[in-house]
Amino acid sequence: MNLSALFFLVAGLGLIGWLVGRGRAARFASNGPERRHSLPGQHGLYVATWTLVPAVLFLVGWSILSPQLVTQEVLRQPAAMALPDFGFERAAALAEARVLANDPSRGAFNPVAEQLAPAMRDAERFYGWIGAGAAIALAFAGGAFAFTRVKPAFRARNRVERSVMILLLIASLIAILTTLGIFLSLLWESLRFFSIVSPIDFLFGTHWSPQVISPSDPGASLGAVPLFWGTFFIGAVIAMIVAIPFGLMSAIYLTQYARPVVRRWMKPILEILAGVPTVVYGYFAALTVAPAIRDLAVAFGYTYASSESALAAGLVMGVMIIPFVSSMADDSLAAVPQAMRDGSLAMGATTSETISKVLVPAALPGVVAGVLLAVSRAIGETMIVVMAASGAANITLNPFESTTTVTKQIVDLLTGEAEFDSPKTLAAFALGLTLFVVTLLLNIVALTVVKRYREAYE
Amino acid sequence: MSKTAPLDRTPTDWKAAAMQRRIRKRYRRERVFRLLGLGAVALSAAFLAFLIITMVANGTRGFMRTEVTLPIDLPGAGFEVRREQLDTAGADLALAGAGLENLVKAAAVQAFGEGGEEMISDKAWLTVRDAIKSDPGLLTRAGTVDVPVATEVDQAARGSASPEAEAAVARLEKAGALTTGFNPDFLRNADSTDPTAVGIWGALKGSLLTMLVTLLIAFPVGVLSAIYLEEYAPRNRWTDLIEVSINNLAAVPSIIFGLLGLAVFLSFMNLPRSAPIVGGLTLALMIMPVIVIAGRNAIKAVPPSIRDAALGVGASRVQVVFHHVLPLALPGILTGTIIGMARALGETAPLLLIGMRAFIVTPPGGLTDPATVLPVQIFLWSDEVSRGFIEKTSAAIIVLLAFLLAMNGLAIYLRNKFETRW
Repeated sequence: MNLSALFFLVAGLGLIGWLVGRGRAARFASNGPERRHSLPGQHGLYVATWTLVPAVLFLVGWSILSPQLVTQEVLRQPAAMALPDFGFERAAALAEARVLANDPSRGAFNPVAEQLAPAMRDAERFYGWIGAGAAIALAFAGGAFAFTRVKPAFRARNRVERSVMILLLIASLIAILTTLGIFLSLLWESLRFFSIVSPIDFLFGTHWSPQVISPSDPGASLGAVPLFWGTFFIGAVIAMIVAIPFGLMSAIYLTQYARPVVRRWMKPILEILAGVPTVVYGYFAALTVAPAIRDLAVAFGYTYASSESALAAGLVMGVMIIPFVSSMADDSLAAVPQAMRDGSLAMGATTSETISKVLVPAALPGVVAGVLLAVSRAIGETMIVVMAASGAANITLNPFESTTTVTKQIVDLLTGEAEFDSPKTLAAFALGLTLFVVTLLLNIVALTVVKRYREAYE
Repeated sequence: MSKTAPLDRTPTDWKAAAMQRRIRKRYRRERVFRLLGLGAVALSAAFLAFLIITMVANGTRGFMRTEVTLPIDLPGAGFEVRREQLDTAGADLALAGAGLENLVKAAAVQAFGEGGEEMISDKAWLTVRDAIKSDPGLLTRAGTVDVPVATEVDQAARGSASPEAEAAVARLEKAGALTTGFNPDFLRNADSTDPTAVGIWGALKGSLLTMLVTLLIAFPVGVLSAIYLEEYAPRNRWTDLIEVSINNLAAVPSIIFGLLGLAVFLSFMNLPRSAPIVGGLTLALMIMPVIVIAGRNAIKAVPPSIRDAALGVGASRVQVVFHHVLPLALPGILTGTIIGMARALGETAPLLLIGMRAFIVTPPGGLTDPATVLPVQIFLWSDEVSRGFIEKTSAAIIVLLAFLLAMNGLAIYLRNKFETRW
């Protein structure tokens, strides 16, 4: 039986359980001598929970277990003797048999798979029915058990509320699970990578050319320093040269000078800059900005200008970050006590003197933290560099030359045609781990600074 | 009392020329500073305007196409498909099998002279096929069909192109009427190798399916964990760990979620590559922290007096939250969810890593079919060499931006309509 149909069936049973439980509770509510403890709806939910939860848990477990049972059953067939004992071919033949079992009209490549297909179909049907039967039986058993407990004095509400609390706890644990999942999967693949390539070669090597990896010494062409430099140069230098002055000055203008009407309109307009998808920025950088910058470089007499310069990607990335810096600066300026501003103005300072000599120094920790967060966002930005930066790993200080970044290389390494276990693909995970750790550290430092700074004025 | 020395100071002479100069200088600095601020705001806004104008200028042409009126004489060419066959399911197959493609090319050569088959689009016969299906009379008499022209001719008819293409346009204009009009296929088709035949419906449908999965997972989980953290969680190390995880997840680069999806959903759980379900799961994990943070703020904004009143009349703690706090916080939660969904809709990088960059010719039928999404489609088209793809890419960007604008507008509307200041 189809798994999703089964889920719907169980859900339907749960609905019936809710109606039945509610109906029973409603009847004794009206004419019973006893005072009831819970509302009919709560009794209904209690029955529905008992109907649904065991059956759904079973189905989830069964959907993981049953393919293995089916495989074992099929392997007992005499035709399965022809399969190799392990490895890729065996898995492919079994997968093909599975496809054939579901769709006999498809042509078969592997004769063994064709022979196994009927057995596969029988086994799938057999275990499918077992699973369906067990799930429905569980649903009925749970529902019946709960139904017998529906009595006026039964504290259905407390039971239902306890299961709601468990549900809430599970939902909030998913965040931890995701963090753990990211960390462990990156770590696991990176450890496999570091068993092939020494971490020292990777972290301190200055030659990056994953296209040609020598099998004898894979570490020689997987030194990531050029990528780290490119990421730093584009994300933390060029982008910040654009984003910090523009972001800071916009925040100052909008909070200190602009009339409320202007502020009400300009602030959302600037925030649109942060909402434009990065792929649009990437396209804009590649199509409009990069050729313009190459022409500019040529006009300055720099003949070897690249059309995939670091400057194009960095500039556009900086524009994208402006609203981010601006809103962080806005928050920190607003947190400076009004008394400091008033005091400075009362002493005869002009507004600009107040801003540059009192407000900005006072807000500096917050602004610095905002810049750190902006850097962490810039170095993790992918699409702009994928579309506008080059794949050539250079260590250069010249913004007209091409450099590459960590994120660009992750995409390049993983979207090529390569098997999953090669050092090339594993290197992407090692790069990902580096990126994850660096952005995490930047965030932790920034948030600590912000927290300490807020406390200073409270 | 000790005697203080008299201060050796004269009152400031504000009228002195030096002082006047100094004040003028300070005021000038003030004006310059102010102008710098205004300039920063204006330049940022100008950049946004430039970006949008560039896209619109390039993109509006992507919604258009040039068509040429092609005379077609099916009975005269000995085309053997009977009218009854058109009503069966095999109509497309029957028409293709009877050599419609070559017949259309021959008609083009006949109408526009030598090389005429190069001037109409490779997919022109599909237009003819659809025309025959909607007007079976074409099988028995000679008629005309408006078919799309080839990419180069299309470019030439609307601007600059190579001299050969210009010549082709001149010839076509002499032979049949060239018309430029709205291209409905752009909203109906999926990806193609021919820029005149591409459409965004395939990618858009992939996006919608992916967003559906994202919403179904991220919204309940995000709201439930926001409720737990804000209303019930005891202050202990576990709760702190959950909070730190959520705050950090919100700042993790999106590409890391792509790596997670690749390692966990594809390699470990063996879910199908390129499928909306995997994309949706990955994006759900990515925007869940956004929803949790927005949800917590919305719940925090509900005043404690509401809770106290409900508790006071005997509601349980679960009833207080689900009957009173949650409905009041819902507009705020929805606003946060829509903003999160808009972010997911524009996201590209994680989806590239889980294989949603496939070449999709037919729109996906379900959650496990290979699919691509709108931003990835934009990325794929931007890589194409053919000039016709530039305006198609910009047109797709316009569609994407329109969706994002609509979502953000909805969020702002919800916030303004339902926001309550307590």
